[in-house]
Amino acid sequence: MKAVEVENLTKVYGKETRALDGISFSVEDGEIFGLLGPNGAGKTTAIKIITTLIKPTQGTASVFGTDVLRRPQQVRQMMGYVPQAISVDGDLTGYENLLIFSKLFYVDPKERQGRIAEALEFMGLTDRADDLVKHYSGGMMRRLEIAQALVNRPRILFLDEPSIGLDPFSKNEVKNQVKELNKELNMTMIVTTHDMMEADEICDRVAIMNAGRIAVIDTPARLKESVGGDIITVKLSQSAVVTSLPGGIGKLLSWEGGELRILTESGEEKIPRIIDYLEAKGMVIGSISLAKPTLDDVFIKYAGSRVDQGSFVAARSERRTFTRRGR
Amino acid sequence: MSFSRSVTSVFTIAEMEARKIRHDSTELWMRAVQPALWLLIFGEVLNSVKALAPAGYSYMQYIAPGVLAQSVLFVSIFYGITIVWERDVGLLTKLLSTPSPRSSIVIGKALASAVRGVFQAVVIFALSFLIGINLRFNVIDILGVFGIVVMLSMCFSSFSMILASILKTRDRMMGIGQVLTMPLFFASSAIYPISLMPTWLKYVAYVNPLSYVVDALRSLLLTGDYSNLPLDMAALLLSTVAFASLASVVVKRLVQ
Repeated sequence: MKAVEVENLTKVYGKETRALDGISFSVEDGEIFGLLGPNGAGKTTAIKIITTLIKPTQGTASVFGTDVLRRPQQVRQMMGYVPQAISVDGDLTGYENLLIFSKLFYVDPKERQGRIAEALEFMGLTDRADDLVKHYSGGMMRRLEIAQALVNRPRILFLDEPSIGLDPFSKNEVKNQVKELNKELNMTMIVTTHDMMEADEICDRVAIMNAGRIAVIDTPARLKESVGGDIITVKLSQSAVVTSLPGGIGKLLSWEGGELRILTESGEEKIPRIIDYLEAKGMVIGSISLAKPTLDDVFIKYAGSRVDQGSFVAARSERRTFTRRGR
Repeated sequence: MSFSRSVTSVFTIAEMEARKIRHDSTELWMRAVQPALWLLIFGEVLNSVKALAPAGYSYMQYIAPGVLAQSVLFVSIFYGITIVWERDVGLLTKLLSTPSPRSSIVIGKALASAVRGVFQAVVIFALSFLIGINLRFNVIDILGVFGIVVMLSMCFSSFSMILASILKTRDRMMGIGQVLTMPLFFASSAIYPISLMPTWLKYVAYVNPLSYVVDALRSLLLTGDYSNLPLDMAALLLSTVAFASLASVVVKRLVQ
């Protein structure tokens, strides 16, 4: 059985705004599936429909075979949801946040304490459990949110922009814990993100979204392959004329002054051969660099624009900080 | 099964509020200042105007139940702001993503507001006792008063949540709260009898749930005459059920 099946999902706000424009995809049991795209691509809308928070204008979605429109309560019982904004209560302790949610998820009272202790332990929050959450760092709040979802032992976890607004260290920690959860508890996950690196690192498959549509779905590795190979840039100490390379090394893209750009596959292995060849010709190499294709390149190819528009990202993290200070 | 689950959820949401108050009750203490001023200053000054209070009672005695109702009203009419805030930070979304039915979340929130209302009531009782306002302090009447306080809170916090789902921002909620509180307060029998009002205002007072609340509180705390109590309770119950049901339906607008 598929963990999630989405058919022709459409959401129209007002008369004009098509937040989702007929998307379809399915997620395998045990998979980490990424919805990748810029802000406004429709990722959060898709998640909100699948988690029964809003109703689609058209189309169907089901979670482990249960229709989200017909049996929303049953769907909610199987899932955990970590929304984009910080959703733990700062005026309660970490323990209390988990206690309240274990009750709202109807965890058997006999199992409650055990599950709470386990979730705290797993997310590394045991020694801060009795502190008020407003004194937590952003990364700890995120981990507590995931712990909150864990008390329910969900079969599927939805993470909406899990690392937005976190510092690099916390980002990494959350990333590792997400991977661990997936592996150890075989928990299916749907992650939305606009961070290409993050999607590449944690997702088994990604759907690249833009303007309410899915441009392409595949594994990060295959997507990167599809945009072409690695690019090796060689800087020579003196300018020299190189017009061709021997077969098997790659294709010479350009040679301007002392700089050569070479397109190739598995670039790491080609570097020694390039050095040998150029030195045999009596040239002196100043530096060599290797650029691997990123999901960013994939996004440019399939969606036709850049995803990480710097100013937009900065504005978002700003708002996030403000929200946290306000509590 | 599903009913007992709903009840669990309602009390869990209220428990959440009680735990928050236990960690920090500063706001509630500050909110108690205003009713104290009504009693100590307004009540004291107008104590000499004999026409305001019914025969045999001092004006202080007369307004104590009114001030109690008013302070609970003020706490609950602004409760929607909390909901909007919880929406803004993502808490509401999270609550609505649990298997708990939406109505149980809304009723739980209304009951949470009642937890605050009860806190106010206790403070006002203590104050009345301290300054020597002679009320009927017997157990059954006081239990009745707390029952009414709970319903009153649930009634107006549900109303406030309905407004929140329409207005959707904290600023607008602050505004509408200011617009509503005084008219509700003045167009009721809280600080003067309805019989002194001009005719048009009487009609307003008759559809104002607060009038029935104050009337019920007076019969419990002052007169001991329960003849109006069934009507008062029916009016309060009706508005509470109506507002809470409507709030349960419209709350989802906040996460869309």
